[in-house]
Amino acid sequence: MMKIRKAVVTAAGPDQGGMLLQNLVDRDGREKTVIEMIVEEIDSAGIDSIAIVINPETKDAYRSAAGNYKDRLTFVSQAAHGPGYGQAILSCQDYVGQEPFLHMVGDHLCFSKGAKRCAAQLVEVASQHGCSISAVQATRESQLPFFGTVGGVRLPEFDRLFEIKRVIEKPTPTIAEQELLTAGLRSGNYLCFFGLHVLMPSIFGYLADAIAQKKRPIPLTSALEATLSRQRYLAYEIDGYRYNLGVKFGLLNSQLALGLSGVDRDRVLTQLIDVLSLHR
Amino acid sequence: MANASLSDRWIEAITSSDDNVRNESIESLSHGLSAPDYLQVALDLDRFRRGAKNLYHLVRANFLISSIYRYRLPEKLSESQSGLLPHEAYEHILERRFSEAIDLLLNYQKEHGTNHAYCSALAKAYYQHGIQTLADQVRRSVKTVRGNQWMFRIAHPDDQPLRIRKELLLRDPKSLDWPILLERTSVRMDFTHSGWSDIFFLGMDFPEGARVINASVNLGVYGRDPEPKPPVEAYLRVIDKPVLRLVSTDLGVDAELTKIDEVFDFAKDYLGLLKAACIASGLVPPGMEGCGRPMSELLAVLMQNAGSQASGLGLEIVSKVNDIPKGSRLAVSTNLLGCLIGVLMRATGQVKDIQGGLDVLDQRLITARAILGEWLGGSGGGWQDSGGIWQGIKRIEGQLASQEDPEYGISRGRLLPKHTLLTKDAFPESSRRALEESLILIYGGMAQNVGPILEMVTEKYLTRGEKEWDARQETIEIYQQIIDALCAGDIRKLASLTTRNFVGPLQTIIPWCTNRFTEAIIEQCAKKWGSQYWGFLMLGGMSGGGMGFFFDPAIRKEARDWLLETLVATKRSMQDRLPFAMDPVVYEFQINDRGSWAELLEADFARMPESYYAILAPRLVRGNIRDLSEQSKRDLERLNQACSEDLHRAGRLLQRILPQGNSKVDHQQSLQSKLQENGFDIQEHQQIQSEILSGRISLATNRLAINVDIADVEPADYIELRDSRTQVKSEDCSEAIRAIRDSQVGVITLAAGVGSRWTTGAGVVKGLHPFCRFQGKHRSFLEVHLAKSTKTCHEFNASIPHIIATGYLTHTPIQEFLETNNHFSYPSKVYLSRGMSVGLRTIPTVRDLVFHWEESSHQVLDEQQQKVRQSAQASLQKWAHSAGEASDYTDNLPEQCMHPVGHWYEFPSMLRNGTLRQVLQDFPKLKYLLLHNIDSVGTNIDPVCLEHHMRSGAALSFEVIGRRIEDRGGGLARVDGKVRLLEGMAMPTEKAEFKLTFYNTLTTWIDIDRVLAAFGLDRKSLESPALVDSAVRKMAARLPTYLTIKDVKKRWGLGQEDVYPVAQFEKLWGDMSSISEVACRFMAVDSKRGQQLKDPAQLDGWLRDGSADFVEKLCHWNNS
Repeated sequence: MMKIRKAVVTAAGPDQGGMLLQNLVDRDGREKTVIEMIVEEIDSAGIDSIAIVINPETKDAYRSAAGNYKDRLTFVSQAAHGPGYGQAILSCQDYVGQEPFLHMVGDHLCFSKGAKRCAAQLVEVASQHGCSISAVQATRESQLPFFGTVGGVRLPEFDRLFEIKRVIEKPTPTIAEQELLTAGLRSGNYLCFFGLHVLMPSIFGYLADAIAQKKRPIPLTSALEATLSRQRYLAYEIDGYRYNLGVKFGLLNSQLALGLSGVDRDRVLTQLIDVLSLHR
Repeated sequence: MANASLSDRWIEAITSSDDNVRNESIESLSHGLSAPDYLQVALDLDRFRRGAKNLYHLVRANFLISSIYRYRLPEKLSESQSGLLPHEAYEHILERRFSEAIDLLLNYQKEHGTNHAYCSALAKAYYQHGIQTLADQVRRSVKTVRGNQWMFRIAHPDDQPLRIRKELLLRDPKSLDWPILLERTSVRMDFTHSGWSDIFFLGMDFPEGARVINASVNLGVYGRDPEPKPPVEAYLRVIDKPVLRLVSTDLGVDAELTKIDEVFDFAKDYLGLLKAACIASGLVPPGMEGCGRPMSELLAVLMQNAGSQASGLGLEIVSKVNDIPKGSRLAVSTNLLGCLIGVLMRATGQVKDIQGGLDVLDQRLITARAILGEWLGGSGGGWQDSGGIWQGIKRIEGQLASQEDPEYGISRGRLLPKHTLLTKDAFPESSRRALEESLILIYGGMAQNVGPILEMVTEKYLTRGEKEWDARQETIEIYQQIIDALCAGDIRKLASLTTRNFVGPLQTIIPWCTNRFTEAIIEQCAKKWGSQYWGFLMLGGMSGGGMGFFFDPAIRKEARDWLLETLVATKRSMQDRLPFAMDPVVYEFQINDRGSWAELLEADFARMPESYYAILAPRLVRGNIRDLSEQSKRDLERLNQACSEDLHRAGRLLQRILPQGNSKVDHQQSLQSKLQENGFDIQEHQQIQSEILSGRISLATNRLAINVDIADVEPADYIELRDSRTQVKSEDCSEAIRAIRDSQVGVITLAAGVGSRWTTGAGVVKGLHPFCRFQGKHRSFLEVHLAKSTKTCHEFNASIPHIIATGYLTHTPIQEFLETNNHFSYPSKVYLSRGMSVGLRTIPTVRDLVFHWEESSHQVLDEQQQKVRQSAQASLQKWAHSAGEASDYTDNLPEQCMHPVGHWYEFPSMLRNGTLRQVLQDFPKLKYLLLHNIDSVGTNIDPVCLEHHMRSGAALSFEVIGRRIEDRGGGLARVDGKVRLLEGMAMPTEKAEFKLTFYNTLTTWIDIDRVLAAFGLDRKSLESPALVDSAVRKMAARLPTYLTIKDVKKRWGLGQEDVYPVAQFEKLWGDMSSISEVACRFMAVDSKRGQQLKDPAQLDGWLRDGSADFVEKLCHWNNS
């Protein structure tokens, strides 16, 4: 059974400045930074070694925001490979070495519907199948401009698991309809990335090739396409939700989701009603 | 009663998988059937139809039943089996509730037995139901094409998943301008013609037969353009205003849309095609129709890649057609649509590459979207029409639907065909050169509507008409030979094949695909160039527009100059007779090897075409420069620079900005003098205008009061002459024969009309329209009427004066035409009676327009077309309001502003202009006149009718026919007890007409002396103009004046046409039957004798039901 010991979180994107440093109140009513929540998510999957790809100038701020977890984190600077999501992951090659690893984007928060957290769900399935696997969620086509998207076929013997046939970064709905339809989803819904992947170390080679070829910022999907043609690559439909902090009102939505699914639900609802009554 | 196996044969012909059984012709199925057999088969097919799951089973059953009721059953019924049409069924048909109409009509038929009225209505309902089912299926299929479906789900701007590509949002650091994305697309040409098999329905029915050879061609107009280039261009750029700005440089219009719903208002302006492209490309998805949101919301989402700047940005889309005229039959509109969709799909990342060519998947997708766009715009086209998006020459072929296709189990073929490019190996450079060195492409300039032809083809193929189906097999056979000849570069062979195709199968399938103009050009080519003229190629749905002529390359250049001159000269000689939109042109062409191609114009190259600035710059300059946006200022700076480099351009622009000399004054003078020449009565006109404004004259006041009793006639009220022809012996009408021999009878053909319905207001002389081929030659209505009188002269050894009543527009052309043709060697005398009255059309009141559209029944159109129609009607109301209700209509050619004042005036004109006096001098024994409409081609001096008229002692005997569904506009009625003709416009309600069994043909037998007496005149008093004038005025005052709305075409640009509804007034001949001292009789005659040809779409049925043969037998052609 494949063992996953390391995790990589990307947080160096130009739009991500300070996002992980934001404070939110979690389901238990405790105030935490986003980075603390992400570390807890990864922790739940039994991973203790975590690297965060950052802009070097923000290292102190991150360290401080990580609170009790600060000593467990490795901060990796993206500068060496230039800007780009793919480049960010490639910068962790030395840290990861020749092991499979969990990758989580720094601008998403995820919430499990059940007891098992999202990262734990994915790591468990990846360990069983011993291959690259991306967490996905059925997403309405209006959200396609924000996500990498996969098309595939359901594996009948496993719940929520798909064999990926195509992967396209932020497809147009036209292309999605032609290339990414997945049986069993509601009309106008596609399997979009959840911001969680378990990747094989071979991804670094594909990323390096893609960067050498295109010589510009590249998305992770460039390398995932290469993965698809060379190795087994699965998608797992997580039993949970993800919130993109990087979009307009992303942080607010995340906080509402946390508040309404946790111990402070009644209080949050009451406050919402107050706000609504004042701003009719 | 038919046995079960008889109907089973028909059903098997629909359902069988055996080609021989399925393709059995309707003629063979009909062999030996009686009227009860047909009725039983029709009922059994109807039962089958109701249970049919498969689309084509349903549609073919509909067409077969329609054919039985239209052509086969009526010929087994006697003429007197007429009846009343239930008004409710008629309304169902108009409202497109075809199933309800069928149910109702079948119930009536069951209860009362069949008759001609039911047959005609059932034929129409089944036919329309078939066409509607097919159209619905195409629509469903277009929607279900993968890549199109999402657009129907997106209903709110926030859900728009498309984004404008980042490349288009990057401003040039120096000029700060956004780049312009330019797409250039060629048009398509079809070498094979294909027998119209590229109609979607046909490809889906019989994909094996749906095949064309389609070339993408660049075009230039010979003598104008330096070289051929892709004739269609679309420009797109980001602008600094949150609006969707659409500019059509070829039509000279632009609009800034601020609401999403405005994109769906197609007919509001001339930007329908651009709007359809915005929708079909997904920029404004069809699901957003009616969302009521501002455009800025959608733009903010589309521009999200611009980050925080997104909210103030908009998009500009500009179309340009390089002066290729409308109706070129090269699918310019579809390819422009494809080009616009292409540029929009590139801009939104739906096409992979922002610049350069398109890959096959992209081309396929744009083709599917173009079909969607055509449907949205309410137009239609074939599946090969967007061929200009693809490159080079390709075979486009129908495909059998497989299990993965949405069409599987519904139709045999797929909606979209397969494109196979002819590679250089298959079609070498030498062959291409040979083709380009021989073929001359031209635009003949004719304005035609191919819509009815496409419906005719569909019906004929799906019922497997015997000769049409055989002809179709021949086109399929010729197709392969054309490919071989084309690839081998044997252009002479190719030319002979395309000629064979045109002369043989195409004209067998649709005789109306050729016309006198085309035939005249072909004849002249053959005569002038002999064996160096190689052949003819018809492009598109019918000839007269885009056409090709093959010549020996050795003389091609010389032939090209000659052809252009000949085309223009021939057009000029026929422009009074056939509808031309513009002068013919000759094209230069070149095969386009790269298909639709895009470029990103950046920095200093980011310029719109010159014609764009010609539209927008004057407006920008007129305003305050300080108020302009930065981008507009930069546009003007760039324009300034361009003008300083090219002074001609500056001159052209100035012309647009500065006021022009007042050419309107010349126009007004010409109109005034024409009105005066033709007896215009200004006082009467002003009186009518004020009465229209006050509401005393209106469409509503045309109608009789609701309490007037309208009832059908009794048998004693008319003379029954139907079904009598074969039983009549010559001694039964000896008096009439003696009168004919004795020169007591003459003919009046009413030919003042300009055929508003015949050419939808094109203003040609209907009488001279060479509408049908008789004895191998296209003959006009007038020629047919003279040929019938000639035959009567020969048959009775008589001399019959033939008077042609003309109007202001028709007099000179008719006179010249008759003189040129030596009056067709007419054995007696021909007289022209020039109309002595003319009216000036007026702008309709909004009240009358609304009444016209809402109160009178109109055929409701297909869903999308109906939306377009409603949008157009809203625009026309605004036009009427702003142009001034009831004011003079002067914004057109003088001839189009004037109008004939109704056929009542024709007979009085003969009195006033001295024609009758002259005829009576030349033929002193003349006692009777047969007056008929120009389009009553089946009428003639029939001794039986004349005998009855003579015996009756009536002043006027009117001929009527049993009503069929198409016969609208009045009839024979008892009006408060008096038997008379009642015009449709005068019916108190539309429903009243459906109580009347008989329809008025207008054909009238006149007893000259009795009618003169009714006017208070006699033969002698005809010599006194004052007496005549007074008598006419007195009679006119006793007759009602009707206000009518007529369509009139206004032509502009390159073959563009607008149709305006204008108001005019008229007095009608049939109202003479309401005058108490005019003794009138009414004769019921056979429909073939009495029917009128009002619309070219009737011609095919008229030819097929034997009416054309009937007319031919009445004629004697003096071969001139």
